[in-house]
Amino acid sequence: MKSILIAVVCASSLMAASPEVGNYMQQLQTEASEPFDAARGEALFTAEQIGKKGTKIACTSCHGSDLTQKGKNVNTGKIIDALSPGANPARLTSLKEVKKWLRRNFKDVYNREGTAQEKGDVLTYIMQYR
Amino acid sequence: MKKHLFVITCALLAVGSVYLAADDHYEKHNAQRYEKTAAEDAVTSGGQKRSTAPVETTSARLYKNECGACHMAYQPGLLPRASWTRMMVSLGDHFGTDATLEPADAAELAAYLDANAYVSAPSSKHMARIAKSVSADAPMQISQAGYFVKEHRRIPQRAIVQPDVKSLANCNACHTKAENGSYREREIFIPNYGRWDD
Repeated sequence: MKSILIAVVCASSLMAASPEVGNYMQQLQTEASEPFDAARGEALFTAEQIGKKGTKIACTSCHGSDLTQKGKNVNTGKIIDALSPGANPARLTSLKEVKKWLRRNFKDVYNREGTAQEKGDVLTYIMQYR
Repeated sequence: MKKHLFVITCALLAVGSVYLAADDHYEKHNAQRYEKTAAEDAVTSGGQKRSTAPVETTSARLYKNECGACHMAYQPGLLPRASWTRMMVSLGDHFGTDATLEPADAAELAAYLDANAYVSAPSSKHMARIAKSVSADAPMQISQAGYFVKEHRRIPQRAIVQPDVKSLANCNACHTKAENGSYREREIFIPNYGRWDD
């Protein structure tokens, strides 16, 4: 368990999320059963679901499938800045924002809150996106 | 006879252009008044000295950041207080999406909207007419307000449903200064369609 934590800490520092977001990921990891995995995060991010509105939706519906590019809100057409911290250094710098959007977007796409495991997997995918 | 017709035509044209100019002047004046009062309001509610430079309160900034993240931050004066109150208690299902906020932010925004809603806000003429005509069946939908529907009734569907606009709720797709609270006819430019004048 300790080695996982150390790995997460090292990985987070490499991936340039703010320390508070790094701490949050460590906290999520203590609540999750598996080490976070970007491939699982990608699957969560790209899978189409029947969302809150009762229609098909995926995270990519608004964020697009290339996270280094801007996305577009599927409902309103408003442009969404790139999600990848590599392309948009403002990403994953505010814990408040991270928590808010994970809460809202899981509900919109999966019609429920994400688990600690799922949130960590998705965050890992976003951080490692190249 | 021909001469009379010519004189009458000229007179009508002159009257028409004076009317258009006056209307335009009125719209412009109203937009300026709105901006000015909004700035003054921001200064006084901030409890600071009056100044001529527009000052944005932290609540106004919060409103723009939170609500404006997904759609244009509609001017609070576009809806009456009751509409905003209902909006703020139903953010868990906000037009089919989850728009929930942290409790402290939600409370701050509820107070901001209550203070700046149509009843007390320095609305422009058009915004006031929209707020006054909000439908009882859809009290949260600006685009369902009677005056709003009337003003947009002649726009062809294809100009609205196109990807660059999507719906009438997307004010700033065509009203180029909508984010500043100005909806003057002169400032309308419909993407892939052109200027609009009625």
